[in-house]
Amino acid sequence: MAMTARQRARVSLYVQAGIFVVAMAALILATDWKTLTTNVFNFGKIGPMFPDIFFSGLKNTLIYTFLGFIVGLSGGLLLALMKLSSFPLYRWIATGYIEFFRGIPALLVFIAFGYGVPLAFGVQWNVAVVVMVSLGMVAAAYIAETLRAGLQAVPKGQTEAARSLGMPQWRAMVTIVIPQAFRIVLPPLTNEVILLTKDSSLIYVLGLTAAQYELTKFGRDGISSLGAGLTPLLVAGAFYLVVTIPLSLLARKFESRSARTKR
Amino acid sequence: MNDVEIHSRTQSGRVHAAGVAIKDLRKSYGSNEVLKGISLDVAPGEVVCLIGPSGSGKSTLLRCVNLLEQPNEGSIHVGGFDATDADVDIDKMRRKVGMVFQQFNLFPHLNALRNCTIAQTKVLKRPQAEADKIARANLERVGLGHLADRFPDQLSGGQQQRVAIARALSMDPELMLFDEPTSALDPETVGDVLSVMRNLAKEGMTMLVVTHEMGFAREVADRVVFMDGGVVVEEGSAEQVVGSPTQGRTKEFLRRVLDPTHIEIAE
Repeated sequence: MAMTARQRARVSLYVQAGIFVVAMAALILATDWKTLTTNVFNFGKIGPMFPDIFFSGLKNTLIYTFLGFIVGLSGGLLLALMKLSSFPLYRWIATGYIEFFRGIPALLVFIAFGYGVPLAFGVQWNVAVVVMVSLGMVAAAYIAETLRAGLQAVPKGQTEAARSLGMPQWRAMVTIVIPQAFRIVLPPLTNEVILLTKDSSLIYVLGLTAAQYELTKFGRDGISSLGAGLTPLLVAGAFYLVVTIPLSLLARKFESRSARTKR
Repeated sequence: MNDVEIHSRTQSGRVHAAGVAIKDLRKSYGSNEVLKGISLDVAPGEVVCLIGPSGSGKSTLLRCVNLLEQPNEGSIHVGGFDATDADVDIDKMRRKVGMVFQQFNLFPHLNALRNCTIAQTKVLKRPQAEADKIARANLERVGLGHLADRFPDQLSGGQQQRVAIARALSMDPELMLFDEPTSALDPETVGDVLSVMRNLAKEGMTMLVVTHEMGFAREVADRVVFMDGGVVVEEGSAEQVVGSPTQGRTKEFLRRVLDPTHIEIAE
C-alpha cells in the first residue's frame, strides 16, 4: 500500500522509538546492579571528600587552568603575529611550533617538562610551574591558530584607516585590530578554556602532594581511601561539569552577541 | 572658539597648506599596469575631482598619494614630504593627509567620539580632554554633535561617512583625500555628505576627490581630471571637462554617466 510522506515519517519514528526502548531494556537487564551500586554509585561513602574537594581539587584545577591559559594566550598571540609576519623566518618558526605541539599528545609534554627538563638542567620545578609551562605551551599552539583566524577576519580597511591616521603598524595592530579580533574569537577562546580545564588533569603523571591534587587526582585518591569503588571519580567528573557547562553557555552567549553587533 | 588654536598647529602657519605634485607615476599589479605615467599637481587650497570609468586607476592614484599603495616608478610630493623617498617618515606624512574611504572604515568597537579621538591621543599625544574638545567641534562641523555617543552600527551610512570625515579632520590635515565617498550610500544620504564636503572646500581645504557625482564636481571642483586606462585623458576647469569635453573618451564617459538610461546602439 502506498503511504503518504507524513505516514511514512510517523512509522519511521515508531520504529526508532521501538529500537531505543529495546536497547535500553537489554542494557538494564544486562547490568550488574548490585556491583554497580557498591562500586560506582555508592554515594553513601563519599562524605569525606567534602569539603576538601572544593579547597584542594576544584581550587587547584582552576588555578592550573588559569596559569595554563595565561601562558597559552600570550604565547598564542605572539605565535599568531609571527605567523602573519612578513618575515619568513618568523612564519616558519611559528608554523613549526604549532604543528609540533598540536601533533603530539599533551601527556608527553607534561612528562617532558615534569621529568625531562628538570633532569636535563638539574632544576627543581614546582608543580604549578610544570602545569603552567606544559599546559601553556600546548594551549599556545591551539590558541595561535584561533587568534590568527580572528586577526585575519578583521577587514583590511580597518588597518588602512588606522594607518592613514598616522598610526604605525604596531599601533594599528594594538589599538584597532587586536581588540576587534578578540571579540571575534571570544567564543572559540572560551571553548579553549574548557579543553584546558580537562587537560589540567594530566599533571597526575607527576608525584603530587595532597595539597597539589586537582580534581582527577583527588578522585583517584578517593578510590583507594574510601572503599566506594569508582564513585569518587564520578563525583570529580561532576565537578568538571560544574566548571565547563557554564563556560559553554558563556561561549554561546558571546556567539549570539557577536552575531548581533560588532561592539 | 578653538579653531584658532587648532589651526595654529600647522607647521607653515598657513591653514590647509599642503599641495600635491605627482610626476610620471607608474603602478603595476604583476603584469597589469594600472597607472601608466600620471602627472598631476594640486595647488594648496585647490579642489581637484578625479573622474573616469571603473578600472581607470583613479582610486589607485589616490591611494598612492598616502602610500596605501606603493608606486613602482615616478615621484609624489605631499606638502614638504617626498613620498617616494625610501627614507620618508610615512606616519608623519600621513598625519597631514586625511583619507575618507568608500566603505567609511569606522572603528566598530569605538563610538563616534572615540573614533575621532583615538589617533589624536595615540599619534599626536594630545591630552584626552583636548582631543575630546577637538573631536566634538569636528562632529559639530559635520552636523553630528548630538550623536557623539553612538557606535557605528547605530548610524546610517551617511552619518558614518560624516563621522569618518570628522575623524580625519580631527588630525588637522592639510590635504584631504576622498575615495568615492558617496558610492556606498543610500541616495537620500548622499546630499548630507556632499554638503559637508562643499563646506570644507569653501573653508579652503586642499581636496583630491575621486567621485561619480558630476553635479558636485561641476559645482565645487576648481579642476576636473578625467582618467581612463591608467592615463590622464583630459583635464581642465569643471566647465571645460564636464561641460564641453574635447576628447572622445571623455564625451562617451559623460554621456553614460549623465544619462544612465542611455543604451549603446551600433551606428
